[in-house]
Amino acid sequence: MLILVISLVGLLFAGGAAEKKSGEINLEWWTWDADMLESNKQIIAQFEKENPGVSITNTIIPTTEYWTKIRIQANQNKLPDVFTMSSGYIEEWAKEGLVYNLDSFVEKDDTFDYFYKAIFDTSKEISAADHYYSIPFALVTTVLYYNKDAFDKAGVAYPTDDWTWDDFRSAAKKLTVDTNVDGKIDQWGFTFTGRYAEIEPWVYANNGNFVDRSTMRFNPDKNALDALKMLTNLVLVDKVAPPQKDMSTFKLEEVFYGEVAAMWVDGSWLTDSFRRNIGDDFRWGFVRIPTGPSNKRVTYGWPDSYALAPNTKHPEMAWKFARYVAGEGIGLDLYMAGKIPSAKALAESPEFVDPAVQPGLDMLKLIELAASPMTTSYTMGWSEWRGYGGSDSLGLNGMIDAIINGQMSFDEAMKKGSEGINTVLSRYYK
Amino acid sequence: MKRTSTYYIRLILIILVAFFYVFPFLWMIANSFMSDKNILSVPPKIIPDLLFSKNAFSNYKSVLVQYNFGRYTFNSIWVCTLAALGQIIVCSLAGFALALMHFRGKNITFSLLLLTLMIPVQVTIIPEYYIFMKLGWMDTYLPLLIPSFLAGAFGTFMLKEFFSQVPRPLFDAGIIDGVNSYQMFLRIYLPQAISPLATLFIIAFMNNWNDLLRPMLYISKRDLYLVTVALSQFQNQYGVRWNLLLAGSVLSVIPLIVVFAFSQRYIIESTMSSGIKG
Amino acid sequence: MTQTPFRWHRRITPWIFILPTVIGLLIFRLIPIFSSFYLSFTEWNLLRKAQFIGLGNYVEMMKSREFLMTLTNTLQFSLVYVVGSMALGLALAVLIDVQIKGISLYRAAIYLPVVTSAVAVGIVWNWILGPTYGIVSNIFESLGLTAPYWLSDPKLALNTVASLQVWKMSGYYMIIFLAGLQAINKDVLESARIDGANAFQSFFRITLPMLMSTFFFVLTITIIDSFKNFELIYAMTKGGPQNASNTLVYDVYLNAFVFYRVGYASAIAYILLVFVGLLTILNFFIKKYFVYSLD
Repeated sequence: MLILVISLVGLLFAGGAAEKKSGEINLEWWTWDADMLESNKQIIAQFEKENPGVSITNTIIPTTEYWTKIRIQANQNKLPDVFTMSSGYIEEWAKEGLVYNLDSFVEKDDTFDYFYKAIFDTSKEISAADHYYSIPFALVTTVLYYNKDAFDKAGVAYPTDDWTWDDFRSAAKKLTVDTNVDGKIDQWGFTFTGRYAEIEPWVYANNGNFVDRSTMRFNPDKNALDALKMLTNLVLVDKVAPPQKDMSTFKLEEVFYGEVAAMWVDGSWLTDSFRRNIGDDFRWGFVRIPTGPSNKRVTYGWPDSYALAPNTKHPEMAWKFARYVAGEGIGLDLYMAGKIPSAKALAESPEFVDPAVQPGLDMLKLIELAASPMTTSYTMGWSEWRGYGGSDSLGLNGMIDAIINGQMSFDEAMKKGSEGINTVLSRYYK
Repeated sequence: MKRTSTYYIRLILIILVAFFYVFPFLWMIANSFMSDKNILSVPPKIIPDLLFSKNAFSNYKSVLVQYNFGRYTFNSIWVCTLAALGQIIVCSLAGFALALMHFRGKNITFSLLLLTLMIPVQVTIIPEYYIFMKLGWMDTYLPLLIPSFLAGAFGTFMLKEFFSQVPRPLFDAGIIDGVNSYQMFLRIYLPQAISPLATLFIIAFMNNWNDLLRPMLYISKRDLYLVTVALSQFQNQYGVRWNLLLAGSVLSVIPLIVVFAFSQRYIIESTMSSGIKG
Repeated sequence: MTQTPFRWHRRITPWIFILPTVIGLLIFRLIPIFSSFYLSFTEWNLLRKAQFIGLGNYVEMMKSREFLMTLTNTLQFSLVYVVGSMALGLALAVLIDVQIKGISLYRAAIYLPVVTSAVAVGIVWNWILGPTYGIVSNIFESLGLTAPYWLSDPKLALNTVASLQVWKMSGYYMIIFLAGLQAINKDVLESARIDGANAFQSFFRITLPMLMSTFFFVLTITIIDSFKNFELIYAMTKGGPQNASNTLVYDVYLNAFVFYRVGYASAIAYILLVFVGLLTILNFFIKKYFVYSLD
């Protein structure tokens, strides 16, 4: 009897009570950066103070789960009022009508006084739509991080904007060291896997392309293939980077701040993590990706945005909050370092380039990159064919890893990979 | 029995084998007491350095507080206890009816129940997911609990067998006393079943604790996470700081080991008896 | 069989007792099985309504190289698991079937991985088998050999995961075999020993035949259990590298909840169901054959 009572009471509480204070406006805000947990709390506290009667709930979901969960919300018509939207998915979501059309807001108020119109337009372009469907809060790009102390020890000059791939390779060779002479490399010049943020930058730095946009099929051009060949040779021929399987114990960027690799290519957003994890352990900086032999380059970058639920009950307040977190109301300290703010005030503030905090003046580079022509490899079904998130051992990601792990030859992998990728693409683009 | 050399060989073999099964846990515990510096050393350090330092439990403190495992453990205990309670209620009712009552469709129900043991969860999970989605129960514990409060194949089977074995005189005495069905169940049969019910509680608790798929699919809000899900996400979210990850693993395993240690006799015996019936 | 020869209750009562179970069966077993079937003929990405596409998913499966690999992986996994678990379970039971002080402790030790979550097991073994920092790697290195890439090598990944699943669950099967062993009448063995039979002879001629029903019981449940590999694959390889450790069970999850191809995933789930069904029927016939031939 007692058991029955306890169980029933327990069940009632299992409903996950979210107490709603009546008369208030409640906004749901979904994001995916776990590192921002504390910052988000502060942002919310600030906003709620400035806007009494509004309460915000922030839910953070890891990237591997984010899109599944948010689709469920979409299906239940219960999308959060404000949620992180990625350039990889905006096309599909705009098409399906799952995001709020922001034109009415953008055009009538002072949005472009606060935000760079160019970034908004890039976002619109990526969504392949005629309306503004997302509010970009940052531009992210990729950079080449390097360990200054390691460079000093090996007597190599720091990378510059003029670096070519040969410069890069010869530096990597000098930076691959077996410090205790036991036959095992203790420091690699460079490390990479098949991941999008590590491969695409090189392809675009050589003005290459993976996807033929006229046919919407995977068809890497010569420049792209040269980039892939150069990279895979780093492992197979030059021996300045380890096969992916050897580094599988680490979480990606850990190889850099763990001082296992002297150079690392990844998103500029890692600045945040590196500042925290490296601190003052060693000196580091970043430059843009070295230019390829074609001598033409495009920057690999894209906006990260927020979108509004199409059926949000409080569009004006949601828009206000979205602008707030997109940069208007927050300070740089609550902003993820390494992302280039779309809010003019933040990007142009003196704190953005703080010489006292690593990487110091290198941050100027980001602003420069943000102004340059940008492109991405995003398409519908991108995560499936590229190998992202929950499927990161598959797709193009897995194929490239197979090459550097010595499991498949370059040509074999490219052939097999192309078939698989185009099967996926043909499903989305007939 | 004579202590022949065969005896000693056997003993040594058994100890080696048992070690092979326990060793990963020992390694897990040892490494959970390593500092960041020592965890990634080659060759690996055997002696956990933190254990003998002042901050012996710093990794655990980190995991419990900073990474919220304390909260997750509480969530898991809460959910699993409720689910297990649900199972004892439902399975004892069903087991009793199947053992002692007459009704058309009894055999069909029982066969269907057994059949469900064979069907992998993946076959039914998508529609199940959709049902809960439509009900709007995402991000609550209801999808994890309601099924436990409805049907349980293993538990029902176990209790049916048990109730069938209860000596006949008890039943006859009840009939003579003129009890109705509920009284027969509550007053006469249920009190006999403390042991299998306790076993069922523990087994249901364990199965729920170790479940990954359902909590992962139904719960997005961090505060509601269960331990297994938190652990699996740990690798993605916070980088693989192995010493912390292993500390978290230890935390996820310890409650079960404790429960298991106290009840292993029951669990192992119930496994054995199910084997005999098979 | 019921103990009670007569109906001693109202007609409706058993239905009240069994109501939750029936509802549960209906909602969470029967209805899903039929809806999964329907879904397998649709295309649905969770964003909008499902669209009927007839046999499209099944056709795609037949043509897909990846699916063929997933199918063979599933077969291979089940094979390794069933054979491994039965052999190891039986061997362990024979080993443990002895009265030594503390035997229950050793028994419990072997049973320990059974009750541990697969996630924790996966994490620990990831660490133990990891390249460079894993203890197994280091043992190999110290012996002057190169350590295999247990989980990153497409040729090894599946067998590694299957073997770990065997390791994890072998305690469970050991216990069942132990029960079977202990149910054997010791007198028969004793008289055989007196007649001069050695250990091997008495094991194969007496013990094993008497273990037949337990044997087939374990065979049945190992077959069923061989499909419960989702957690371990998720925790260790996520189906990689390049599909090498992908099984039908994991593929359903991948397609439904990572690629959002719920229709296709349902079709895979149905193939899985057919697979399980076929193996169960196969098992049933083997059992019939053996029992028949023994009699």
